[in-house]
Amino acid sequence: MLPVLTQTLWRRRTSLAWWALAMAGMCALLAAAYPTVRDNNQLDTTFANLPPSVEALLGLTGGNLLSSPTGYLDSQFFANVLPVMLLVFTIGLASQSIAGDEAAGSLDLLLANPISRVRVALARLGALILLLAALAVVCVLALVALAPATGMDKGLSAAHVAAATIAAGLLALTFAVVAFAVGAAIGSRPAAVAAASSLAVAGYVLEGLARQIHALHPVDAVNPWHWLLAYDPLTHGLTWHTWLPPAVAIVALSVLGLPRLAHRDLH
Amino acid sequence: MTTTPAVVAHGLTKRFGRLTAVADLDLEVSPGQILGFLGPNGAGKTTTIRMLMGSLRPTTGHATVLSGQAGDIRVRNRIGYLPGDLHIDPTMTTAQLLRWYGRLRGHHNQERIDELAQRLRLDLSRPFGTLSKGNRQKAGILQALCHDPEVIILDEPSTGLDPLIQREFLALLEQAAERGVAILFSSHVLPEVERVADRVAIIRAGRLVTVSTVDGLLDQARHRLELHFTNPVSAQTFTGVPGVVQVQVHDRAVALTIDGPVDPALRVALDAGTLLRIRPTGDELEDLFVSLYPAPQTADERIEVR
Repeated sequence: MLPVLTQTLWRRRTSLAWWALAMAGMCALLAAAYPTVRDNNQLDTTFANLPPSVEALLGLTGGNLLSSPTGYLDSQFFANVLPVMLLVFTIGLASQSIAGDEAAGSLDLLLANPISRVRVALARLGALILLLAALAVVCVLALVALAPATGMDKGLSAAHVAAATIAAGLLALTFAVVAFAVGAAIGSRPAAVAAASSLAVAGYVLEGLARQIHALHPVDAVNPWHWLLAYDPLTHGLTWHTWLPPAVAIVALSVLGLPRLAHRDLH
Repeated sequence: MTTTPAVVAHGLTKRFGRLTAVADLDLEVSPGQILGFLGPNGAGKTTTIRMLMGSLRPTTGHATVLSGQAGDIRVRNRIGYLPGDLHIDPTMTTAQLLRWYGRLRGHHNQERIDELAQRLRLDLSRPFGTLSKGNRQKAGILQALCHDPEVIILDEPSTGLDPLIQREFLALLEQAAERGVAILFSSHVLPEVERVADRVAIIRAGRLVTVSTVDGLLDQARHRLELHFTNPVSAQTFTGVPGVVQVQVHDRAVALTIDGPVDPALRVALDAGTLLRIRPTGDELEDLFVSLYPAPQTADERIEVR
């Protein structure tokens, strides 16, 4: 299993380097723009009158002001940009873990070696988690390193930055394992990407609507966006509300496609 | 003493929806034997091989390799396999691929790899993306042979190889068979099969139509001869001659298609003028199919399933 995992990491090394560069650049941009937002008092007044659904989607639920580092980072990064970046990164990788090889025609050759299909899939998932972790580390390091330069570190701890990054990573991984399961079960990369990204979009929309429509509240329990946005890890750190539901969902969804993978025809 | 066959297919059938790709196929390859698996495109060769390797599940029947269920990971270490459609990460070099597979197989024999690379004239240090079709195929062959497997299964292995390398490759197969390796390889060109295979299995529209020795097969095949005369010859000379099914005349050359012994046609030719030379123009597989099975192909037969 290990040779497949390391080979997958090696194969993605260039891609990871570009993503890391983009991530660091995004963090630099955030830090550079912060003084403008901090010094603009009007923004706080404007945002104070927003409907709760919009506030929720902006990650401003905890009464954080937009001009504070926490409010700024939540609303401009942790509640949207970062999860979306990580979603694109992980769904792309997850959909390729089995279905990508099938589409490329390289799976037959690999499976002529003494390794089972399920182990290949799990090795690929393992590599995906490590790549995601690497990108998350780049994000935390970049923010912690760059924030003091523009005062974006005021009232912000590195641990909470890490907590918020982990929460966004868990959200991305939850939807990525949907792509992983669909790809493993039916071997279609487009179907894997479509299933995961449409669920991610639907979850985001439902999280906004649920703050206005009471009938939608039951959805919160199974909505990864709610797990991410409702408990604001940047303010409170990583509580079990934030990490436990996605962790359970990730384990359950990753094994979902495996029995079918073990027995189906490969494309 | 009877040897247990290394590759066995029994009643092997694969249906994709309403299409039957392979129907009730029986095959055996014993250690030391080379079986040529012949058939036109879409006849079910690749589907059969992928069932043997466990990539596809048979609808009915079974396939075993080295007494293990097809695709059993415990026997895969002892199988060398080349898929019909070879795809490898374009950034990877052959050396990297072989090191990686060596780790998966728990077996890496650099000496053997170097020897094979030299015989096939392959540069191991170039990434796949920069290799020609023929060189990629060599890399595919190398990975299938380098761990000295007991069974070798190759899907159209000589695609893209130049004649010199093809000869070297066939010699490699012969040497492996001498060591007791069971070999099954598919092809749609008879000459290469003719050279090395002990037996030939012909598949058409998913059904095995014949399993026979190469000589037995050639006896059944139509022959094509080109006769060159010093004098002009008319087509009428050969009409009605036993065995002659087609005559084409171009000035002083006559192209004959002969079913059965060539003797009567040659006797007529000797009387027809001064015979300058005779050139056999092949016993093409296509001819063989035509002669064995004159029924028109249905559209279904052309569907290649991968």
